[in-house]
Amino acid sequence: MLSRHFFTLAATVAATLTLGALPAAAQGSLNVYCSAQVEWCQAAANAFAKETGIRVNMSQKGSGEVLAQIRAEAQNPRGDVWYGGTGDPHLQMAEDKLSAVYRSPMLDQLHDWARKQAEQSGYRTVGIYAGAMGFGYNPELLGKRNIAAPACWKDLLDARFKGEIQMANPQSSGTAYVMIATMVQLMGEDQAFDYLKGLHRNVNAYPRSGTGPIKSVARGETGVSISFVHDAVTERLGGFPVQYVVPCEGTGYEIGSMSIVAGARNERNAKRFYDWALSPAAQQIGAEAKSFQTPSNRNTPIPAEAPKMDQIKLIDYDFAKYGSSDERRRLIERWDREVNSLPR
Amino acid sequence: MSRAAEVRFENVIKRYPGSSAVAVNNVSFTIPAGTLCTLLGPSGCGKTTTLRMIAGLEYPSEGRVLIGGKDVSALPPAERDVSMVFQSYALFPHMNVLENVGYGLTISRQPKARVREAARAALASVGLSGFEERLPSELSGGQQQRVAVARALVLEPAVLLFDEPLSNLDARLRRKMREEIRDLQQRLGVTVAYVTHDQAEALAISDKVIVMNQAVIAQEGTPRDLYESPASDFVAGFVGEANRLPATLSHREGAMARVTIGSATLSLPHRGAAEGAVRLAVRPEAVSLLDATDPSAVLRGKVAKAAYLGGLMEYTLATEAGEVFVIDPETSRPRGVGEEVGLSLGQRGVAVLPA
Amino acid sequence: MRSAGLWSSALALIAALLLPWYLVQDGIGVLSYADGGWLTDPDGAPAPGLILAEGRWWLWPAVLAPVLGLAAALLPLSRPARSWLFLAAGGLGLGLLAAQGWSIGPRGWMAPWLEAAFGETELRQYGIGWGGTVVSCALCVLLAAGLAGRGAFRGDAFTATVAVVLTVSILVFTALPIAQMMAGAFRDMSGAFAPSSAVTRLMDDRLWGLGCLAGAPRCGVVWNTLLLALLTAAGTTALGLAFALLVTRGRLRYPAPLRWMTVLPIVTPPFILGLGLILIFGRSGLLSQAASAWFGIELGRWIYGLPGLLLAQLFAFTPIAFLVLIGVVEGLSPTLEEASQTLRADERATFRTITLPLLLPGLANAFLLGFVESIADFGNAVVLGGSFNVLATEIFFAVVGAQADAGRAASLSLVLLVLTLVVFFLQQRLTARKSYVSISGKGDAGLPPPLPRGVRRLCLIVAGTWTALTVGLYLLAFLGGFVEVWGRDYTPTLRHFVKAFSIEGGQFTGLAWNSVLTTLELAAISAPITAVLGILAAWLFSRTRFAGKGMLEFATLLSFAVPGTVIGVAYLAAFNLPPLELAGTGAIIVACFVFRNLPVGLRSGMAAMAQIDGSLDEASHTLGGGGLDAFRRVVLPLLRPAIVAGLTYSFVRAMTTVSAVIFLVTAETELATVFIVNRIINGDYGLAISTSLALIVLMLAVLGVMNLAVGRRRIGRRAAAAATPVAAAPVPGAIA
Repeated sequence: MLSRHFFTLAATVAATLTLGALPAAAQGSLNVYCSAQVEWCQAAANAFAKETGIRVNMSQKGSGEVLAQIRAEAQNPRGDVWYGGTGDPHLQMAEDKLSAVYRSPMLDQLHDWARKQAEQSGYRTVGIYAGAMGFGYNPELLGKRNIAAPACWKDLLDARFKGEIQMANPQSSGTAYVMIATMVQLMGEDQAFDYLKGLHRNVNAYPRSGTGPIKSVARGETGVSISFVHDAVTERLGGFPVQYVVPCEGTGYEIGSMSIVAGARNERNAKRFYDWALSPAAQQIGAEAKSFQTPSNRNTPIPAEAPKMDQIKLIDYDFAKYGSSDERRRLIERWDREVNSLPR
Repeated sequence: MSRAAEVRFENVIKRYPGSSAVAVNNVSFTIPAGTLCTLLGPSGCGKTTTLRMIAGLEYPSEGRVLIGGKDVSALPPAERDVSMVFQSYALFPHMNVLENVGYGLTISRQPKARVREAARAALASVGLSGFEERLPSELSGGQQQRVAVARALVLEPAVLLFDEPLSNLDARLRRKMREEIRDLQQRLGVTVAYVTHDQAEALAISDKVIVMNQAVIAQEGTPRDLYESPASDFVAGFVGEANRLPATLSHREGAMARVTIGSATLSLPHRGAAEGAVRLAVRPEAVSLLDATDPSAVLRGKVAKAAYLGGLMEYTLATEAGEVFVIDPETSRPRGVGEEVGLSLGQRGVAVLPA
Repeated sequence: MRSAGLWSSALALIAALLLPWYLVQDGIGVLSYADGGWLTDPDGAPAPGLILAEGRWWLWPAVLAPVLGLAAALLPLSRPARSWLFLAAGGLGLGLLAAQGWSIGPRGWMAPWLEAAFGETELRQYGIGWGGTVVSCALCVLLAAGLAGRGAFRGDAFTATVAVVLTVSILVFTALPIAQMMAGAFRDMSGAFAPSSAVTRLMDDRLWGLGCLAGAPRCGVVWNTLLLALLTAAGTTALGLAFALLVTRGRLRYPAPLRWMTVLPIVTPPFILGLGLILIFGRSGLLSQAASAWFGIELGRWIYGLPGLLLAQLFAFTPIAFLVLIGVVEGLSPTLEEASQTLRADERATFRTITLPLLLPGLANAFLLGFVESIADFGNAVVLGGSFNVLATEIFFAVVGAQADAGRAASLSLVLLVLTLVVFFLQQRLTARKSYVSISGKGDAGLPPPLPRGVRRLCLIVAGTWTALTVGLYLLAFLGGFVEVWGRDYTPTLRHFVKAFSIEGGQFTGLAWNSVLTTLELAAISAPITAVLGILAAWLFSRTRFAGKGMLEFATLLSFAVPGTVIGVAYLAAFNLPPLELAGTGAIIVACFVFRNLPVGLRSGMAAMAQIDGSLDEASHTLGGGGLDAFRRVVLPLLRPAIVAGLTYSFVRAMTTVSAVIFLVTAETELATVFIVNRIINGDYGLAISTSLALIVLMLAVLGVMNLAVGRRRIGRRAAAAATPVAAAPVPGAIA
């Protein structure tokens, strides 16, 4: 009796599910993988759908997960556009020819760093925002322990930060890799690894996720984190006591990127989205959704809370060299061998 | 019941996968329609496997099983027109007595009223009217046993199978139940195959007994055949009590021969034994006790053990031919341990064991 | 056998003639049925339309095989001849359809050698739709009917169908994706076949290093995993046993709350437990703050690593051990214990020499499940692992991490699988020789003895501590849903609930509605399928012998042992391509739920089956019942507790899984757990917790209803008869 009852229920639900899939609107549809903050993704999808009448299926995931998914789907792609997420996986995708070549007419309006990203990848990806690497800290926690806030990279080696620093594990986090690459470009490779070994003594944990350390700072689990400064702004707006610092020696940055999936089923709509996403109107959405990266279109107004990129001493980050899979693997393996295996 | 069917095994062999031993080795027999046939043997002899092959719960590895002349070797139990009473009764614990008995009819989609009616009738036939609503756990062992029988009967099968149905009952109940089963079988005229390791039970109820030992048939025949003319040492020892005594066979003439045991010479069927030393199977009741001085005694010995069983006496005697076990209906003058006695042999209950 | 062949052929033929063969992108609702236009529509046509109008001759088997089966069923043939025809129609039909499906894909030939042999082709084929699916399933049944006719499976068509359907589905939904994934271990970074790279990866010091014994900061990840799994398995088994004994024999005045308590962790979405532990034990957690404020003790970051992870896993997996063990404890025949007491054994000795040994198979099962759950656990490890790496997280980060090394992920998965394999065989050996039949056909009686006092006291202490911790954990975690910002601003508010579940003008405008409803729908579809399949499998495995049974049983366990993330990626890779093009649909999520949760249904079913005397089935057979009757009328009613366990568990797992489906969800099929995880990642605890709370309430409600619907086992113990009014009341704990 019972099983029959359940089968009826299941069959009904299954039928509703299948038949309920309505025919796509006349404008067709677009499948977007989004690695920005979920509010931003949702707002962007809604705005684009409203403007064009194209039905947008948006799915928000971390950049590593999206890349894994795109790889798995390579033979029969489901997604059309990958929007947002740090630049390295987009570059890897370009390197593996998983993204399609597209030269948007909007390229001229972009900052140099965004255009350079496109050129280096053979126009398989493009920068949509940038964010600088820096420190986040919890002033309440540091105050309670009488620890002065850090200002420069070298400060982090100081004994006062013993057990108070978190950075992500570069084996899993792109954020942490950007930090290592930054140090290598700032100091030269061997000196950079000496620095990392010194830093290791003060680090209490290497969380897996790039945003893990700043969340620990917000929750008072650790005093200082090495993370992107716009993430610190987001935490502060969430009501947590978080401040950020941009290191005095200069720092590296990420370029949040966008790519069209090679062999996309809705390629026409994907290109339309691509162009739209590079427009100032679309790029404003990020700030409205409380994400404070610097937009790549020169004409996009920048909100007051956002870190000012032009006031930050940025290094000339070589995305082509440090974005390649081989260099990346070599540096991460060296870090694991020489730094991560040391006792604290 | 005219639907009773003959059961026939033709060169059936049963092996279990992953085991080198053969459970049933090249067995052939026939159970005539409407008779009760017992499969008798010690545990592990293959009798239950044989029964399960009739039921269709096991399939022969080689050979054929026929029921009513039809080859059923590959048919599932449901298509064989057989029912079975299990050793554990296998009453469904979540159904009441009526539901248990009506199960087979419910399965075959009979109308509910008819199921109830037939189940009630079957329950009445085993004397369990009024117990319809009970759960099996609320019945005594004997009642559970009757429910199991009623459940098997309600389908009016061509062949009814019993797998040691009485082994969980006490002695008095066992005798009563076996009589009921025999009555039922006679009344319905159904073919019954009945597995037991109790030889008294087998002798009491069977039209035919098949004695199995070590995966083969040791002997088959009527209870009388088995008891009076055991085909082997094993059968003589397993079916009833038997003294095995050394003797000498001479003068074969037709079916008969002269057999000398002690000082006596008997004329017995030689049953294929060659002239020379043979063994005699002597039933305890075929031996008469005499005084030690009686000249008609063929053997002499001493009483080693004596037991008073109410209606009869049991003695174990030490004789020159070995230990002899005797049952003596004479209880008024028991013989004491150590007393010298003489023995004589009757004509019945003595058989030459074939070579 | 004949009727099974008849209806399966008929069904296959009808499906082939009427249902669209291929998957229709926008749903089969868009086809034009009124004018018959769909019959020749190249996208939505059934097989004959495609054959005649499009010249797709290779689809002929879809029509001819059912026709052959139908002919065999209807013509007056001998049983062997008919069986052969069924076998041929089913087997050949399936084989040919599979061959064409995997030959021609969305980009022409599916394999390079086919292209080399036949040259390039313009042909394109997408995934099979309703037509292809129904025809294939019906042909499976036809094949089974043929097998049964040949005498396999005691000649019973139902048993044969169960065996064939189970084998095919396990092959397709478990063996195929995992094998495909494992093959990756033998490829180097460029994708070429290189066995040496597998050796290098497997011998890696990061896996097997024992440096921590000599003072180095870390040990190999395999040792970490093993240590954690052993501790968790032992702990959960002990805790589960304590609860099961207490609930069934502890003579508690109020056993119900205790039962509910054990259910709570299992209905909790992942990460919430970890979050709660951090809120209590973390560096800024309540306990740590209290300790430093009152005693000046710095408790530090101990929660990140082995201790915290173990704690979280004990909370998460004890209920599973409880579910397994309560069935076993309830099924113990009290007569055995009564017998022991009459043999001069006191309560304590009886417990030690009879009760515990009788529970051994159940304990072994619970231990195995705890072990496997622990090594496959991802959610807790990622939140609380800290620098303590386990295989599950290593695999996840090998897939999605900065290195994106699929080969390494495959190698690590291989190690995980071998671990599971070893445990599986150990457990088999342990329990294979000891089968304890407690429910026999002979109605049994007697009362379960009370627990010895020492044991009862121990159980009470353990369960009490656990219960207190659980209550605290949940209270704190859920307070977070009712305050502005946990840890900062404790102003009470309902803001988060409004944001998640607001309804304006009959429209669900809350952010969480979509994902919660989708989750509910998919869980409601997958749970009964899982439960039924699990019980069927348990019945098949414990009541029949057939070649390859052990392999099949093991394959069923596989998907449980492999961490969710691996399954997710493997599913995506395996079902992204025609003919089984499930990616992006709800079906792939349902399949993932079903086959991932099947082992639990199977295990609890097996444990329960072991206590039901096989002669009950046989009695049904000799009374004219086929396999279906024996299963439906005898086994099923006796297995109610196991069924409830299976239903409950698979429903709840479907509602709370995250790692396995994170790659499988799309915008349309977003699940509540994924929604919650994203909230947590964004630091929006309020919204995450309010959605979790809603999920938990929903699950508990559904569980209560399920529990009522299935009811309690009617087995006629004397105690049950004496206490009918109590037993008839809806005991929530029968969730067990």
